[in-house]
Amino acid sequence: MTGPAGGTAVLRADVAVVGGGPAGMEAALWCARAGLAVVVLDEHEDLGGQYFRRRHPAIRAVHGDHRPEGTALAEAVRASGARVLTRHVVWGVDGRALLAHDEEGDRALRVEAGHVVVATGAYERVLPFPGWELPGVVTPGLAMHLATMDRVAVGSRVLLAGSGPFLLPVACALLEVGARVVAVVEAGRPYRPGGPGVRGGVEALRHPARLAELGGYLARLARHRVPVLQDRVVAEAVGGARVARVRTVRTCGGGDREFEVDALAVGYGFRPATELVRLLGARTVVDPRTGDVVIAAGDDGATSVPGLYAVGELAGVAGVHAARLRGRLAAMSITAAAAGETRADGRERERLRRRLRRLVAFASLTGRLYPPPVEMVDTLPDEVHVCRCEAVPAGRVRAIARTGLNDVHAVKGGSRAGMGLCQARECGTALWRLAGASGSTAPLPARMPVRPVPTGVVADMDRSGPADPAGPEQV
Amino acid sequence: MAERAGHVEILVDGVPISARPGMSLAAAMIAAGRWHFRRHPVTGAARGPLCGMGVCFECEVRVDGRDARRACMVAVTGPVIVETGTGPRREPDGAGTGGSAGSGVEPAG
Repeated sequence: MTGPAGGTAVLRADVAVVGGGPAGMEAALWCARAGLAVVVLDEHEDLGGQYFRRRHPAIRAVHGDHRPEGTALAEAVRASGARVLTRHVVWGVDGRALLAHDEEGDRALRVEAGHVVVATGAYERVLPFPGWELPGVVTPGLAMHLATMDRVAVGSRVLLAGSGPFLLPVACALLEVGARVVAVVEAGRPYRPGGPGVRGGVEALRHPARLAELGGYLARLARHRVPVLQDRVVAEAVGGARVARVRTVRTCGGGDREFEVDALAVGYGFRPATELVRLLGARTVVDPRTGDVVIAAGDDGATSVPGLYAVGELAGVAGVHAARLRGRLAAMSITAAAAGETRADGRERERLRRRLRRLVAFASLTGRLYPPPVEMVDTLPDEVHVCRCEAVPAGRVRAIARTGLNDVHAVKGGSRAGMGLCQARECGTALWRLAGASGSTAPLPARMPVRPVPTGVVADMDRSGPADPAGPEQV
Repeated sequence: MAERAGHVEILVDGVPISARPGMSLAAAMIAAGRWHFRRHPVTGAARGPLCGMGVCFECEVRVDGRDARRACMVAVTGPVIVETGTGPRREPDGAGTGGSAGSGVEPAG
């Protein structure tokens, strides 16, 4: 692919926000309203991120807007004076500067900002199983986007499996577009029998709205006679050109049950997308159970690096309301640092912090109700590809781990697992587990480029700097 | 550029499918039952979309001559030519080069 012809453009701002989802938009909005020069970079065409991902105007014209709050927030950001750069992929860093690829113009862009707010969101956790590479095996998120954005059913007979409350709205969205949901298969046991309640473990908490929402989904599934099976995971998907049959087992094994399907949507919750904030040097800890990298950040997203903030699902998977609050709180800290804070501002900040803490407490309880069954990786047959990009079977990873080089770097180097296009975003949990999972096992390293980028764009970066004929551009 | 109502026609490996304007290319292909988006470079097996958010790169196709477009991130607004590399080969007849001007796709939101 040809690279850009000219040198690298340099953009300077007070605040650079990476990721235009709920958290990034809140951070950008409140910083811009306070008069700071803000630039927002996002790889998609439009602001919104995943939760507020927006329908194409042609679809909106027919089916309306499915996330009006997201539209309102995006419009507020655009009206705030923040400079919005969509189709800009941030692929690396150079010290504090962000290195981006403008996909539209196919040119390199360097962004230098006093404050960097990273709001890169989360990925769905995928755990491998025999047949997971078959066409028709997708994440719940893909099934959701197809149903809500495009009004397309991922299949006519769909099995929804994995863990987490997200499976329920996806199942309902599938019903709405005319799919038959043959079952919802949940790895944990979060729902009590005898009704659409999630009364059990969560009744002690004061989150009636969230509980009512989950209860509403369960009631709708019951009306459509969709079985919700708990303590059960996908053991195998079978098919030719496309998935045709799924075998499920109890989470601890045994009790086979099969389903005829034409699509399987499976995912075990979410894990934060930490690569960029790690490249920028933020201190992290590893979740000893899942190998997830967790950013050590305050309520306002402040990391161990001064001026670097991690907000939204990146800072902890806790839902859209918490994500928005985190973005807002980061903006409050940044504007307080730039222009000071009134007593009223301080009171508002404390009020928002308390709200955030309640939401985070609820999310951590939810997390305990839906533990991802990472142990299923231990019994993965040797011949199954754990890394789907490079087609590396589990047995080869195990063999390398047994040599004593049981760290993730050695496993990557020895097997090529995790070195393909997705950069271990799909296989990360499984690879970490196979590499000898323990609290002391280092997670997969964050490496540049964090997204594939044309080589011309990287080469172009070397020519940037003071010699740039265009000179730095101000936001 | 986008047709206001009705449908747009997409040629997938030479076979026409119909899409509603504004759909993602991945959605249009899935709605038409076309689940084979690429051939795995190592195993040769046909692959289809997994993540729907630009992370897995399983849905990469050639669109109007441009390689490696993630079909989940491309919106269909007009007629386009898609090559998956999984179907019967078609001779490149000039329809598939250049491609930006008048192309019937735009990035999906």
